[in-house]
Amino acid sequence: MSTAHQPPVAARFVRLPSIAERKLGPDYSAPIRLDPRVLNQMQATIKTLGKQYVDTLGRQVHELLPMIADACSGDLAMRSKFYEIIHDVRGLAGTFGHPIVGKFAKALCNYMQDHMTIDATIVRFHVEAMRDALADAAADDRIADDTLQSLELLIRTTADARSPALKRPAR
Amino acid sequence: MSARPDIETSALLAGLKVLVVEDSTTMRDLVVALLNSMGIADVTCAEDGDAGLEYFAHATPDLVITDGMMSPMTGYAMTSAIRALSDDTATGDYKRSDVPVLMLSGHSEPDIVRWARDEGVTDYIVKPVSPALFYERVLAAISNPTHIVETATFRGPSPRRTLPVHEV
Repeated sequence: MSTAHQPPVAARFVRLPSIAERKLGPDYSAPIRLDPRVLNQMQATIKTLGKQYVDTLGRQVHELLPMIADACSGDLAMRSKFYEIIHDVRGLAGTFGHPIVGKFAKALCNYMQDHMTIDATIVRFHVEAMRDALADAAADDRIADDTLQSLELLIRTTADARSPALKRPAR
Repeated sequence: MSARPDIETSALLAGLKVLVVEDSTTMRDLVVALLNSMGIADVTCAEDGDAGLEYFAHATPDLVITDGMMSPMTGYAMTSAIRALSDDTATGDYKRSDVPVLMLSGHSEPDIVRWARDEGVTDYIVKPVSPALFYERVLAAISNPTHIVETATFRGPSPRRTLPVHEV
């Protein structure tokens, strides 16, 4: 259909001053580099919180194993609770120095988002990989990547329907 | 860089009011701790989009930092609702609903990022965050001007723009 005869929409393009300009005036020169003192302080904060987080992470991974059977049985409430924990680990483990645990959590999140029904064996392999990576913080990245590839292959060989659960809703 | 802008930046950060909307307690504590480490003390937390919106109705934060997937109201829906707010207290061109919204999300899928863009999110960080990336994006949020489009039925960041995704 041609749109040649439709009237143009009147639009105004506006440049809004930054927060800094509004608070400090138009002469404010924006910070162009990170202050190393502030960055050091932030890293110290992460280190302090990380000491507490490792206990939380251990507890979460420990909680997941006995939940697998129910989460994979079609119990939506249990599946949702299980996903919540995995999602939390995915977002936080990397920040606190456990990137491999975070990678396995991300892979499991993706698997759960993309599949209507989830296979208990595949889920268990992911959770056990998280547990093992947590137990061996110095684990080799290459071994983790090989394990991830094997898990992806296992998932691909398990035919399933895609779930719309985490897809963008229609407008 | 001379010492003066650093001093000004510290004063600016100390005077900021930030709303953090996040359903994970650990993540919320982390974001608050990082903001505090940057010298931002005035931080209010909400556990989901509904609570964030309720706070926003009575307060004027300078910056909103939100998770995406939350229940019952997501960060996407909350951002959209903020952009749709009418504002009688506007000064100049800036309205309360133009507040920068920095989304921290576990999702980097293009469809989800487009969703964030369409609802009016200003900037997008994929979790896990690093201190340097978080610091950099907060500084960008406060020091970069915002460009918006206004028509008879729409006001907000252009839905045609590319929303950059920042990832560690």
